Amino acid sequence: MINPTVVDLSRLQFALTALYHFQFVPLTLGLTFLLAAMETVYVITGKQIYKDMTLFWGKLFGINFAIGVATGLTMEFEFGTNWSMYSHFVGDVFGTPLAIEGLMAFFMESTFVGLMFFGWDRLSKPAHLVVTYLVALGSNLSALWILIANGFMQDPVGAKFDPTTMRMQFKSFGALVFSADAQAKFVHTTVAGFVCGSMFVMGISAFYLLRRQHRDFALRSFRMAALFGVIASLAVITLGDASGRLDDLLQPSKLAAMEGLWHTTTPPAAPWTLFAIPNDKAQKNLYPIGIPYVLTPLVAHDFTSAIPGVFALERDAKPKIVNGMKAIVALKAYGATHDPAALAEFRKHENDMGYGFLAQRFAPDQDLSKVTPSNLPTILDRAARETIPNVFVEFWAFRLMVALGVAFLIVFAFGAYYSLKNELEKHPWVLKAAMYAIPLPVLTTLFGWITAENGRQPWTVFGWLPTFISASSHSVGYMVFSLVGFALLYSAFIAAELYLLFKYARLGPGYHGATVRPVESAARPAFGQPGYAADKPWQ
Amino acid sequence: MTEIVKIIALAGVLTLGLLLAVVAGDYAPWYFAWLVGTTMIILISVSGAVLLETQEAAGNASREK
Repeated sequence: MINPTVVDLSRLQFALTALYHFQFVPLTLGLTFLLAAMETVYVITGKQIYKDMTLFWGKLFGINFAIGVATGLTMEFEFGTNWSMYSHFVGDVFGTPLAIEGLMAFFMESTFVGLMFFGWDRLSKPAHLVVTYLVALGSNLSALWILIANGFMQDPVGAKFDPTTMRMQFKSFGALVFSADAQAKFVHTTVAGFVCGSMFVMGISAFYLLRRQHRDFALRSFRMAALFGVIASLAVITLGDASGRLDDLLQPSKLAAMEGLWHTTTPPAAPWTLFAIPNDKAQKNLYPIGIPYVLTPLVAHDFTSAIPGVFALERDAKPKIVNGMKAIVALKAYGATHDPAALAEFRKHENDMGYGFLAQRFAPDQDLSKVTPSNLPTILDRAARETIPNVFVEFWAFRLMVALGVAFLIVFAFGAYYSLKNELEKHPWVLKAAMYAIPLPVLTTLFGWITAENGRQPWTVFGWLPTFISASSHSVGYMVFSLVGFALLYSAFIAAELYLLFKYARLGPGYHGATVRPVESAARPAFGQPGYAADKPWQ
Repeated sequence: MTEIVKIIALAGVLTLGLLLAVVAGDYAPWYFAWLVGTTMIILISVSGAVLLETQEAAGNASREK
């Protein structure tokens, strides 16, 4: 018997570690390309200030990168320790991009990060610039492979279930790499990282400008980040729309939950719900406020397509659940006897196999052979309802992500406009908005992660393997102990990251061997004072 | 002679780039869009910095007058 508490704790632990880890990743993805852009200006113009900018922002990137790598390590092991059934079922397929990701992160990225930090005096200017670009490319390619792996969980293409080995096996590596979901996820996620990196640089630069410190340094950093951010924000909104279109085609249950659609829409007047409090238990929206004629073109990109609601999806799932149960019973018979008739029966229903696993949770003693005509309707109702993710969470995670994404575009647009007009300091409200917005893009990417992964529920591999049967059979005590351990450890990582980032950001560029001299130096320690001889540390 | 070799090499790179674009356009349109888009974002950001230098130089020159 599978213990639902252990499954929930396994989910909570993975969500916790993933959400902690994902606070570092987007910043790395964005900052690396911004560093490359800054160093490009240094190589083109030869102006020292751009090298100083690369050094300073590179230092902050380094802090984030080191802690980010540490938080990511545990997650790769978690698949094996907490999700053993999942690892057995899709390990052949999922393990490949995960291994390539590991190679990218640890060999390419880490090697070039070392060269980037320590190669300034050992490499020529163009060679160092190439290294910086390789760091940016390496970190983003790491993200590519993990998102290809995630793309398989959302839309399992390129593999086929083998009833003899009882696992998914590769059919096409190309189909996996070029899957539409993986592509859309990669571009949306990495460009969201660009927004995070831009807001980070823009916000800290705004902080210096508000305090009238490091003016030349801050004006240049602000200009580059604002332009980088405004284009990235436009791109992330466009690419998010593409992701939504894919959800409409591939994961209608996720889309219905995102939009809080209980009933199938009537085009073209169907309203887009701006505000509502979805009640999952009662299966209805409380206090809905909608904008008519917006939903259909927004989701389907036309004015005629109806978008299926939760009730229709639940109804459509029931025949699949019946077929799936037949597939599981046939699979068990084939596993025990290798009877060709059982295999033929399984083949007839194999595409619905996952729905049979889903029904297993609600069968007496989690045993599908105990399903009878009298308990079948209840099992069907419960399993059908299980096919829909938590609507309240999905609805609000999506709306918060979109609202914040649009807000960033506005902040970047004003920042870029006033920066291009050289009027930034006349508009302190723009500087304040940029400064206070520093943590928000990272928070927004977390809402994006919740939208993507909560919307995938109840599956670990969409349509094939339910989350409920994917977990390992640990004890509750073990799961609670490791969960608390991870929460404490990762909280310590976050605290260390914030302490170091605040510390070095407050100290400013003058403190890092850069040549830009800060305005005030009285508060600096002796070794930070002008005139201090670095080669005479005893002074 | 070296100029001709350079031109031929660059033409080769260009042809390879175009071929890659055609193949990527068919099989990986979003990956291709990412490559082009990221390059564009970097170029715009770099241009902004170069423009700032020009604006500052122009401002300094007009103040000196």
